[in-house]
Amino acid sequence: MPEPMVQLKGVRKRFGNLEVLKGVDLDVGKGEVICILGPSGSGKSTLLRCVNLLAPPEDGEIFLEGQDICKGPGSGTGEQSWNLDFVRQRVGMVFQQFNLFPHKSVLANVTLAPQQVLGKSKKEAEEKGRALLERVGLGDRLGQYPETLSGGQQQRVAIARALAMEPHVMLFDEVTSALDPELVKEVLDTMRELAEEGMTMLVVTHEIGFAREVGDQVVFMDGGVVVEQGEPKQVLDNPQEERTQKFLGLVLER
Amino acid sequence: MKVFFEQYFDFHIMGEHFGEVFEAFLQNLLIFFVAAIIALIWGLVLALFRQAPGKKFIPIRVLTIAYIDVLRAVPLLIIILMISGGVPFLDFLPKDIRIPHWLGKPDPFWYGVAALVFVYGAYMAEVYRAGIEAVPSGQMEAARSLGMSHLQAMRHIIVPQAVTKVPAPMLNELISLLKDTTLVSVIAFGESVLVSREILAEQLNSSALVLTAAFFLVICLPGARLVDYLIKRNQGKMSRGAHIEVA
Repeated sequence: MPEPMVQLKGVRKRFGNLEVLKGVDLDVGKGEVICILGPSGSGKSTLLRCVNLLAPPEDGEIFLEGQDICKGPGSGTGEQSWNLDFVRQRVGMVFQQFNLFPHKSVLANVTLAPQQVLGKSKKEAEEKGRALLERVGLGDRLGQYPETLSGGQQQRVAIARALAMEPHVMLFDEVTSALDPELVKEVLDTMRELAEEGMTMLVVTHEIGFAREVGDQVVFMDGGVVVEQGEPKQVLDNPQEERTQKFLGLVLER
Repeated sequence: MKVFFEQYFDFHIMGEHFGEVFEAFLQNLLIFFVAAIIALIWGLVLALFRQAPGKKFIPIRVLTIAYIDVLRAVPLLIIILMISGGVPFLDFLPKDIRIPHWLGKPDPFWYGVAALVFVYGAYMAEVYRAGIEAVPSGQMEAARSLGMSHLQAMRHIIVPQAVTKVPAPMLNELISLLKDTTLVSVIAFGESVLVSREILAEQLNSSALVLTAAFFLVICLPGARLVDYLIKRNQGKMSRGAHIEVA
């Protein structure tokens, strides 16, 4: 068992009257790739947003590298907590809709946060940014604006942008769902490389093939709880729970 | 019919007073520029206060919303009269603020500017707010997930995108502001309406007022056309899909 990176204990989250997470436990070891599957509305995205406190949980504990990030000194959960900087600088996130900054060039998208948040010099940030964009295969697009790129290219810029903050954990929220089918592979390949380099990753996805091949563990969620969890082979090929069987049946039928 | 034209379009009177009215109109433009620049900044500050996040800023949000609602609901004329009639007697304020004579301009000029800034700041805050709310929420999420503070995200990500969405409605506010500078005539500042009213009283003829109206037309009509053009252009952009990711 690798040393623990992220641990969730009894995490609950509600939006108004709707309880989206009903007590989720999850252990993520350093360097592990956890793929989270489940029908829409099952709380997968909310779970990721809890881990980087974009949606701080109401109840439960989240440990990041051993630190309880939900409780700061003297104040309750989430936004008020002093752990916000600690968390956001260690946890990178990539979104379904890319969310690139449309008024900034590709390179500026990647270098803005390192300069503003980490206090890097422009030169330093640009060197690193160039290297990262090179690595995701976009070294020749530095000066272009996001809207001139394809969806797959935009998503790779978004990955480079998150990596520029040198995160210890990466969260991927259905990052291929908004892409045309022929563009999915280039993004998954980038993620696969990242996994091979030892990045700890939480991946919410509908790509069963990716989960089987790259995932160390597969987590199936439904109705705000973890229904089943285990090695990809076990969960995907021999699911024990009826809800998992039903969901996989529907997905694999396509 | 002849009487009508003589009353409103006596070119002799217009010619005789042209220089006088034109100079007074320049005073309207001066009030407009000073008030517009300050109100554009003040409005943005109010809009940012209104968007301040978290429980900590609830008092600031409530106060800002109250300010914006009240100042938009009270007639501008009352605000002008309250400031010019009351502020000189607030003796806890320094004299330079009670009776300002900055930059060689008399105190009614500054009372007028203050009233216009108070009221138009509130209107412009609402325009900025619409612009800020038109930026997809994913932009803020992305900026925050990269570790930027709310203020950094506002400054580098949200506001630069929001201001590109507001030129058309903002221009409407500016046109109103220019027209409303004439209200400062009620506190005896020698702008174009005051001057043409004096001519009206002297000559029992409205031609100077019509001349003043013409000056406003010359400035405001192209402005209104520009608003239409900007709205059309913006719609064009939308339909071409330049504004990506609405979800």
